[in-house]
Amino acid sequence: MPEKLEPHKVKKVIERMGKKLNRQMVGSLVGCVHCGMCTQSCHYVLANPDDPTFAPAYKADQVRKIFKRNFDWIGRVFPWWVKAKNPYSDEELEKLKDIVFGKCTNCRRCSINCPMGVDFATLNRMARGLLVSVGIMPEGVAVASKDQWEIGNQMGVLREDYLETLEWLSDELENEMKDPAARIRIDKMDADVVYAINPREIKYDPRTISDAARIFYLVGENWTMASDGWDMTNFGLFSGDDELGGAVARRLFEKVIELRGKKLVLSECGHGYRSTRCEGPNWAGMDVPFEMESSVMTMLRYIKEGKIKIDRTKNNLPVTFHDSCNNARSCGFFEEPRELLNLVATDFREMYPNRAENYCCSGGGGAMSMSEYTPLRLKAAKVKADQLKATGAKVVVTTCHNCVDALTDLIRHYKLGMKVAQLVNLVSSALVIEKKVVLP
Amino acid sequence: MSETLRFVSDYLQLMALSFMALVYILRIRWLLRFKAGRERQAPSGSADTNPRKGILYSWANIASPWAMESTRQNPFFYAQFVLFHLAVAANIIMSFIIPYAPGLMRPGFVVRGLQGLFLVGCLIGCYRLYRRLSDPFIRQISTPDDYFSLLLLTVWLFVSIWAAPNRPDQGEAPLLAYFIMTAFFLVYVPFSKISHYLYYPFTRYYFGKSMGYRGVYPIKRGPQPKSTKV
Repeated sequence: MPEKLEPHKVKKVIERMGKKLNRQMVGSLVGCVHCGMCTQSCHYVLANPDDPTFAPAYKADQVRKIFKRNFDWIGRVFPWWVKAKNPYSDEELEKLKDIVFGKCTNCRRCSINCPMGVDFATLNRMARGLLVSVGIMPEGVAVASKDQWEIGNQMGVLREDYLETLEWLSDELENEMKDPAARIRIDKMDADVVYAINPREIKYDPRTISDAARIFYLVGENWTMASDGWDMTNFGLFSGDDELGGAVARRLFEKVIELRGKKLVLSECGHGYRSTRCEGPNWAGMDVPFEMESSVMTMLRYIKEGKIKIDRTKNNLPVTFHDSCNNARSCGFFEEPRELLNLVATDFREMYPNRAENYCCSGGGGAMSMSEYTPLRLKAAKVKADQLKATGAKVVVTTCHNCVDALTDLIRHYKLGMKVAQLVNLVSSALVIEKKVVLP
Repeated sequence: MSETLRFVSDYLQLMALSFMALVYILRIRWLLRFKAGRERQAPSGSADTNPRKGILYSWANIASPWAMESTRQNPFFYAQFVLFHLAVAANIIMSFIIPYAPGLMRPGFVVRGLQGLFLVGCLIGCYRLYRRLSDPFIRQISTPDDYFSLLLLTVWLFVSIWAAPNRPDQGEAPLLAYFIMTAFFLVYVPFSKISHYLYYPFTRYYFGKSMGYRGVYPIKRGPQPKSTKV
């Protein structure tokens, strides 16, 4: 039961909405014609066909009615005519929280199915940011944001734990390759590649780090990982907090500049790639003086240039590919993973729909950190479960850590008997190691 | 033609049109007062996508039913959308032709064609009203403006069927009703959702520009597996 909230929070939300509005948002707020074409594009609607409150237009209207009441002329003069309305109490803001955090993953599938070009996901993120600014948010969002502000990464991994993990991974790699050059180098100056990761890899899945390190070693790459400013994820994307988004992005960018790195390579993470590559410079108000790319593109280039040899028969289980929403619908990143997958696996089966029209894994928008909405999330995941089942694949490959967790969850929940993998795992397992590498 | 009909078909229309234009100018100025967000990052996606292509793809959206899943999977809905909007557009054009170029409407096939289109538009309007009232998802999101705008257009299309022959010598009532409704429509539109056509170029421009910059637009749909479909 939430403790009684101060009524002035409603006033603050309205005041701050005025400052957040830009032309694109206003267009989306006034442009909706309530045609309902967005309805069937939403995985929440498909999983809850009898509940109209899951419709994207309905969810958008919960934000739109506040805008109309305060910033739009008809809504200010004849509010009842266009259902313009302010929240009357801070308890209503709590209900809005359940909608914008619990009933939407900001996947943008509704946005690309709207005849008017209304970008609901952007409005939803704005609403999240407004609620967060007055302290109304799911606990998981609060904890992850706090950790990212104070400790420097969203999972609260301490510096010593991070460095210790890289140390034992380096020990293993050195033993495997019988070469101290295989160790992960920390804070190396003038590296061609600065590799940034998702803290989930340190905490739960360190094999993705060693898989990447193995590939960099075999290529003879001049690469490094930073001792701090290494978290390429960004809870500002999920919380709608542009200040957090900018601070996190800036921390990462400034570290690369400090190390004089030439290129920032980002491990496979949907929201991390989008936040760093596509949104970070905007949030931070910073023109970034180096290249940024996903490790998927890096690995693809290595293979095409013959820098690593691959035996795709080592990955002979039927695989399918899930497009992370942030990669696909916000960064146009869907062909390179497929190209790479076709090079490292023998039996790749597309799911339908795919690419920019693929369905959300149900774990987007920070949903994996909001345990209070887990039942809703797993119910909405039925659409993805049906997609996976229809392919007959044994492995689903994705380029996003949140998707890995969400897919793992839904595979277990719907008893699909599949495994989840990332491209770095498949590339690493298909590697043909021929000779000792000489590093520069 | 009586003085009343002359007034409502000419001066009243011009006054209403001028009012609508003025309100639209103020509306666009209001919209443009908000700062447009910009993209500082390097473009992403494939090399054959760019903001210009994204904008054009986005603007062409209403004429590209294959572009969105929502229209691909609902061909009937798209067809009725097209016919309804064609009927409304034809009706707007007729409101200029009758007073200023009535000769264009003398051929019988023109009048019957327009009447047929208006009848279809009117029937579609009735279907849309039914859908808005009966579909719980659409009813949930509907406002009084949604219902009134649709009702206004449907009734206006119905009246247009009788006004299209343009025979004031056989009774001025249909033409009087038509032009008074048209004037009311012109005054009401800027304050209603009907003015979505004013926003369309803007919303689609910015969405298309961003999506093109990021390599999402034009949407490429790769080969689809034959048997798997959700």
